[in-house]
Amino acid sequence: MATSSKQYKAIGEDLWKGRPEKINAELFALTYGALVVQLIQDYEDYEEVNKQLEKMGYNIGTRLIEDFLAKSGLGRCSDFREVGEVVAKVGFKSFLNIAPIITHSAPPPPTSPSRPASAGSLSQASAGTFFTLTFDENPLAEFVELPEEALEGGLWFSNVLCGVIRGALEMVQMQVQAEFISDILRGDDSTEMRVKLVKYLEEEVPVGDD
Amino acid sequence: MPPTLRLNAVAFVSPQNHPILVRTFLNQDDVIKYHYIAHTSLDIVEERVNSEGKPVDCYLGLLYCMEDVAVYGYITPLKVKIILALALMDSVVKDVEIITIFKALHMAYYTSISNPFLKLNNLTGGGSPDASPFLFVGSSKWKNFRHRVDEISRAAGTSSA
Repeated sequence: MATSSKQYKAIGEDLWKGRPEKINAELFALTYGALVVQLIQDYEDYEEVNKQLEKMGYNIGTRLIEDFLAKSGLGRCSDFREVGEVVAKVGFKSFLNIAPIITHSAPPPPTSPSRPASAGSLSQASAGTFFTLTFDENPLAEFVELPEEALEGGLWFSNVLCGVIRGALEMVQMQVQAEFISDILRGDDSTEMRVKLVKYLEEEVPVGDD
Repeated sequence: MPPTLRLNAVAFVSPQNHPILVRTFLNQDDVIKYHYIAHTSLDIVEERVNSEGKPVDCYLGLLYCMEDVAVYGYITPLKVKIILALALMDSVVKDVEIITIFKALHMAYYTSISNPFLKLNNLTGGGSPDASPFLFVGSSKWKNFRHRVDEISRAAGTSSA
C-alpha cells in the first residue's frame, strides 16, 4: 500500500510537470474571487451561491475526468479507498499542484446479515464510506478575507471543488456527496472536505473476475 | 548587542491623499501625532516626486527628522504613499533594511486589496459611490491588513541591524 501511495505521488508530480500550459496563480485566484463576488451580488443568498458554485464545479468535473484519465492512463480503482488516494495524490496534484492529506473512514458496520466474504475484488464498499481531504493550502483563497455577512450566511468559498469531485466521480460510475466541513477562511483550524460514497451507479461492474 | 530597529508607526495614504491606514506600534494614544507626521510628509513627498525630471524610484529615502522620529517615504507606482516613522537612534540605519520593510509593507497592502470581497462590501455598505474601495482596507472591518502590518513591524523589530 505504501508503495502505491508513493507511485501515485510520483505520477501526480509527473503529470503536473508535463503540463505545458499553466496559469499564473494570482490571476487564477483573482478570477475565482471575482466570480464568487459576482455570484453573491447576483443571488444575494449565500446558500444559493454555494449551490451554484457546486453546480459549476459539477460541469467542470464531468469534463475534467476525461482529461485526467487520458493523461494519467490510470485504470479503474479497486475500491473507494483507492479512489480517495488517486483523487488526493494524482488528481489535485496534477491540476492544482497541491497535495491534500487524506484520511479514510469506514462506515458503521451493517446490521443486516453480511454478504458472503468472497464478494469479488470489487469491494462492495457500503454507502457511507467516506474519506476526508485536508487542504493545507488553497490556491483559490489566496487573498480572501470573508466579511461577517458571508460568515453568517454560511458561504463555502471553495465549493466549486466539491462539485468538481462529484462530477468527475459520477463519470466513473460513483455517486458521491462532497462537502466542506471546515474552512480556514471561516476561522476553523483547517480546511477539510468530506467525500462520501452514496452508491455505485452500475450494478455488478465486471472487474477482473468473470 | 546589535541594536534593533524600532518602528514607531506606519501610514498608508491614497493617491488622493486620503488616509488608508495609520498604525502605531508603541502606545496607542499617540495616533494623532502620527496622523500629523503623515500629513506633513505628504508635502515633502509631493515635492520630491515633482522635482525629479525622470520617473522616480519607489523609495524616497529619509524625508525629515522631527523630535524623536525619523520619517522615511515610499511611493508605489499607483501613487499610494507609505510613510514610516522610525525612532531616532544613535546607530546607523541602513537604507537596504528600510527598503526591505517598505517592500514588505507594499506587498501586504497589495495582498489586502486583492481581497475580492472589498468591492462587494463597498457597494452594499453605502457611502459615496466614488470612494475607492481601497480606502476601506484599513478599516476595522478588515483585520488581515492590520495583522500583516503588525507582523512586519514585529519581524523588523526583532531582526538585528
